Amino acid sequence: MRRTLLFFTIGLLVLGLIVITAMAQQPNFAKVKEYRIERSVPPEAQACIECHRTTTPGVFADWAKSRHANANITCLDCHLIQPGDRDIAQDHEKYYSRSDMPWGETKYKMPIASIVTPKDCSRCHPDEATQYSKSKHANTIEIMWKLDPWLNKGMNSDNERKTGCFSCHGTVIKIDENGKIDPDTWPNAGVGRLNLDGSKGACTSCHTRHRFSVAEARMPEACDQCHLGPDHPQIEIYEESKHGTLYHAYKSEYNFNAAGGTWTPGVDYRAPTCAACHMSGSGKEPTSHDVTSRLSWETQAPLTVRPQDFKAFPSGTNWQDERQKMKNICSACHGDAWIDDFYDGFDKAVEEYNEVYFKPAKAKLDELYDKGLLDKTKFFDERLEVEYYELWHHEGRRARMGAMMMAPDYAWWHGFYECKLRFANYMEEANHLIETGQKAYVAKDFPNATGDTQRPKAIFKE
Amino acid sequence: MAKGGDSAIKKPFWKKAIKPAILIAIGILIAFPLFSMSYFTMVRTSTPDFCGSCHEIKPAVVAWRSSSHTNNASGVVVDCMDCHLPAPQDTFDFFFAKTYHGIKDVAIHFFTGEYDREKARNNAYAAFDNRECQKCHRNLLNMPYKRGAMLAHRSVLYAKPGYEKKCVDCHYDLVHSERGLVMFRQTRKVPYQAKGLRQL
Repeated sequence: MRRTLLFFTIGLLVLGLIVITAMAQQPNFAKVKEYRIERSVPPEAQACIECHRTTTPGVFADWAKSRHANANITCLDCHLIQPGDRDIAQDHEKYYSRSDMPWGETKYKMPIASIVTPKDCSRCHPDEATQYSKSKHANTIEIMWKLDPWLNKGMNSDNERKTGCFSCHGTVIKIDENGKIDPDTWPNAGVGRLNLDGSKGACTSCHTRHRFSVAEARMPEACDQCHLGPDHPQIEIYEESKHGTLYHAYKSEYNFNAAGGTWTPGVDYRAPTCAACHMSGSGKEPTSHDVTSRLSWETQAPLTVRPQDFKAFPSGTNWQDERQKMKNICSACHGDAWIDDFYDGFDKAVEEYNEVYFKPAKAKLDELYDKGLLDKTKFFDERLEVEYYELWHHEGRRARMGAMMMAPDYAWWHGFYECKLRFANYMEEANHLIETGQKAYVAKDFPNATGDTQRPKAIFKE
Repeated sequence: MAKGGDSAIKKPFWKKAIKPAILIAIGILIAFPLFSMSYFTMVRTSTPDFCGSCHEIKPAVVAWRSSSHTNNASGVVVDCMDCHLPAPQDTFDFFFAKTYHGIKDVAIHFFTGEYDREKARNNAYAAFDNRECQKCHRNLLNMPYKRGAMLAHRSVLYAKPGYEKKCVDCHYDLVHSERGLVMFRQTRKVPYQAKGLRQL
C-alpha cells in the first residue's frame, strides 16, 4: 500500500515536472498584436482593422508597426474609392453581409480598391509623387517598348514576360468585363506599372506593403530585387565597392530611421547606400524621388548618351547640372580632387566603350543587314545578333556601371575583359560572313517566341 | 499789416464754397444713379441663374446645384463668382476679369458659337487661384481626423520652390460632375477625400 502511494506520488511529481517544463517553453501560438481603438478612427475603418487582424494578420501587423498607424492613417485613407468607380473590389463587398463575421455588417460597408496607386499616395505626399512621375522608374514600360527587341519582335512568351520582365518593370493593369482585375496583370508592384487611374508606377516597389518604411527604402536591399544579374548588376557592383564594404561592416551602427530631411552622411551612416547617392538629401542637395536626376550618363543605353539625349525618354535635365548635384553628394565625404579624378576615369571608360566597342560593333551589324547577310525580320535568331546584344546589354553595361560605381572586378573582368573577347569573336564571325558572302544561320527552332508585339495602347496613344 | 486793404475784397467762406458745393452736388446726382446702376448690374449678372441663362453654361449650373458646394449642413452656398473670379479684395482684377469674360463670352456666343466643355474645364483649372478657395477654406492645417490632408495642405501652404500647387490640382471633378443624385454633404456615406494629383 505504502509502495503504491510512493509510486503514485513520484509519478505525479514527474508528470507535474513535464507539464511545467512544457509550459515554460514558448508554445507555437501566434501572438496577436493588440490594437485598442482609442483614437479617432471611423467605425468603418475599425471594421477593416478588426477583420483583417484575424484574416490577414501579416498585413495588420505590418501596418500596426508603420508610421501610418502612428499617424492614425488607416486602411480607408488609401484603399477607399468613390461609389461607381470601376475598380471597386467586388468580392470584398460580399464580406459586409456575412453573419458569421463579427464585423460583417452592412453599416460598415465602404467601396474599396485593391490596388493603391501613386495617385492615391499623392493625396498626402504630392511632391514625392510628382518627382517619381518624372523618373525613368515610373516611365519604364514606355522605355522598355521603345528599346527592347524581346517585346517588339515577340521573342519571348507572355508568361515569360509576366514572371520575368514585368515583375520589375510593371504590368499594364487591366480590368475585365466582370469588373475584376485581369490576373495576367496582377499582382504586381513593378516601378512602371500603369494603373487604372492613369498614374504610373507603384510606391510599394521600394516602400513595401504594409509598412511603407522610409528606413527600408534607404537600404540597398530595397533596390536589389531588380538591380542585379548579368545585365545590370548594380547590387553586386555596390557590394564590391568600398561603399558596400563599409555598409556591411557598419550597418548595425546606421540610423535608418532618421526623420525625412535629416538623414545625414557621417552621422547617420558611414558609407552611402544606393538611396543615399541617388535620392536622399545631403548637405544643401534636397531629396528627390526622381532617380534620373543626378545622372550625367545613361550607362544602360546601347550607346552611352547624356540623359537629356536619351531618345526613349529624354530627361529634360542638363547633364552638367545633374553632375554637379551628384558631386555635391560626394563632397559630404570626399574632396574635390578625389571627385574630379574619379569622374575623369568614368568619362574615359564611357568614351572607350562608345568609340572602341559599341560604335564599330553597331556599324558592323548595320553592314551585315545592308548586305543581306543578316536577316532583319527577327532578333536573337542569328548568333551575331545575340553577340551584339550581349556586348551592350550585358558586359557593356557591367563595364560602364562597374567603372561608375567603383567595382574593379565588374569594370574589368566582368566588363571590359568580356567586351574584348565578345568583340573579337563577333568581328571574326562578321568579317567571315562578309568575305565569303555567306548568310548567317537563322535558328528555325527559336523557342517560345510567341509574345504579343502590340505596344500597350494606354501608353502609346496614337 | 501792410496788406490791411485785402480785407475789403475778402469774401465770406460760404460764398467761396458755394460753387464747388454745387458742382459736387451735381456730381453726386449724376454719379449715384450711375454707380447704383453698375452695382445693380454687377449683382444681377453675378447670380448662377444669370450664368445659366446661356445654354453653354446651363449644364455646369445644373451640376453645381446638385453638388456639396450647394448642399451642406452649414447652409453655405458657393456661387459661380466665388470660385471663378478673382477674390473681391483684388477689386480691380475682379471687375476687369468679370467685364472681360462677359464681353468675350457674348462675342464667342454670337460669332463662333463653339463651346468645348472639356477645354473650358481645363482653362478654368488653369485660371484658378488658391486665394479664391481660401476665402472660405481657411483653416487647412488643423484637421485631427485627416492627418494626411494636414500633410498635403502643408506642402501647398509652405510649398518648396518649384513645387507650388493649386488647390484644384488635387480637388477636382468636385462641383461640375454629372451625378444621378443631389449630393448632401451631411448624408454622404463615403467620406470625401481628394483624388490625388490630377496631372499624374
